[in-house]
Amino acid sequence: MIPKNSRSVPLTLTIWGLAAIVAFLILFPLWWIFISSITPAGELFSKPVKYWPVHPTLDSYRYLIKNVGLLPKIGNTAIIVGLSILIGMIISVMAAFSFARFRTRGLSIAVGFLLASMLIPDVVTARPLYDFLRSVHLYDTYTGLIILYISGILPFTILILQNYLNDIPVSIEESASIDGCGFFQSMFYVTIPLLRPALATVCIVNFITCLNNFFTPLFYSNGISVLSTAITQLPLRDNMYAVPWDLVSAMGWIIILPIIIFVAIFQRQIMEGIMAGGVKG
Amino acid sequence: MYASKKYWMIAWILVLPALLIRIFTTIYPIIETFHISLFEVKLLQGIRKFVGLDNYIQLFHDSKMITSIRFTAIFVVGSMIGHIVLGIILALILNMKFRGQKVLRTIVLLPWAMPMVVIAMASKWAFNNEYGLINDFIRRFAPSFNLDWLIYTNTARSAVIAVDLWKDLPFFAILVLAGLQFISSDMYEAAKIDGAGSIRSFFSITLPLISRNILMLSIFFTMWRITSFDVVYAMTSGGPGESTALIAYRVTTEAFTNLNTGYAASIAVVLFLVMAVLSGLSMSAAKRVDY
Repeated sequence: MIPKNSRSVPLTLTIWGLAAIVAFLILFPLWWIFISSITPAGELFSKPVKYWPVHPTLDSYRYLIKNVGLLPKIGNTAIIVGLSILIGMIISVMAAFSFARFRTRGLSIAVGFLLASMLIPDVVTARPLYDFLRSVHLYDTYTGLIILYISGILPFTILILQNYLNDIPVSIEESASIDGCGFFQSMFYVTIPLLRPALATVCIVNFITCLNNFFTPLFYSNGISVLSTAITQLPLRDNMYAVPWDLVSAMGWIIILPIIIFVAIFQRQIMEGIMAGGVKG
Repeated sequence: MYASKKYWMIAWILVLPALLIRIFTTIYPIIETFHISLFEVKLLQGIRKFVGLDNYIQLFHDSKMITSIRFTAIFVVGSMIGHIVLGIILALILNMKFRGQKVLRTIVLLPWAMPMVVIAMASKWAFNNEYGLINDFIRRFAPSFNLDWLIYTNTARSAVIAVDLWKDLPFFAILVLAGLQFISSDMYEAAKIDGAGSIRSFFSITLPLISRNILMLSIFFTMWRITSFDVVYAMTSGGPGESTALIAYRVTTEAFTNLNTGYAASIAVVLFLVMAVLSGLSMSAAKRVDY
């Protein structure tokens, strides 16, 4: 064993330097978005850019609440994301349990189908799906959106949960059944509690996936507005690029802040989730 | 235990909701996409007539489409080179032991966890000549620098690739890191004893051992790049002109703006076939490249 402190001082400094550059490249743009959101609109047109506002203000946020309906949008997002994760998890646990415990040819085909359907890109199915949702009156409804959000998280969730379930020995359920547990009893009281760490990890990753889902609300809703699409629909201004940067940055920060807090708290679980499934955010 | 016939029904009831949802949201629409790609559909005029493969023939003669295919190729190749080279470097940094390593890993997760729309909307302003973050930064070193990035084809394309890298490179690095952590430190010790320097051991130990991991990751990341949509939608709207309209963006424009759904479907089918070929590749890569 080489002792840990054997590294030379210049090397340590180089590593810190590199780490600092990486941190700067990621954090500085976020800082800039935050500062822009509390800078009065007029001051944004200054050259060079000020990274600390002369007159900090919460006007942009106030404007979003009063004129853009920020609070209902947050409500919509919470309802859709919350229900999608809850229902999606129930459906996934059921399917994963079945896939992990029963082995028939039909079920292996079903697993293959679920994995293959992951590779179908959103844009390929967009227009027919849109027409279909209209014809069954699910376009621009909470039900329709929640079904689509669930659909987006199902394959990944089932895949991960099935992997965990494969590691839980069937003998546990066997002994439960000898002790008099029925099928569903042993599933709920014996197996699912053992899944808890996996469930937490998957829930956390799914929360981010759902919150960031932009494609679904963009194409399959109109009246029901969630945060991710709202940022592209802010009232345009007469400035040279028609970007209401003060409002965009405020809206952006409202979306980013919970994510930063969330990532800071659940860093370990997120890493596990990412590495287990290579999920795309 | 679960082999007996009585569980057969339960098994299927448990998977049914998941299967139904996926069938309605992916299988049915994809079949419909194949179907309408053979028709000329003009929703506004109420025209719908069978034209066979005409849409596919048109696709390869449409100058907008050719621009899209060309830019998608540039975007994918440019972005992937960046991902692989910088991603490995970032993964190596993340794999080093130093105070603050955990903090850095948390920071690196942030871009992945954020929605691309927010990043892309912010980038629109960041690449502004007068008041943007990028030029302001460059001007600190070259005060007379002036460039309106999103107005010219080449700079707009570079900007789109840069934003894509900012957002997804850290994620790539984390996945490479996962592979790095499987390499036991004994190997490096042994190499050190045999007189290998750190550069030599990187090329002789690290790189060969993570190459399979990187190949698989690259195929998946390539697939995600090919179907990228958000970045261009929010940042450039395909502009200037059509020069940054990725294929995925082209599909949605034809389908939802021009209401040319048959034509849009034919592009979608081509996109789907490319994805199918790549996923086939990834499966054979997973089997063949084995140690």
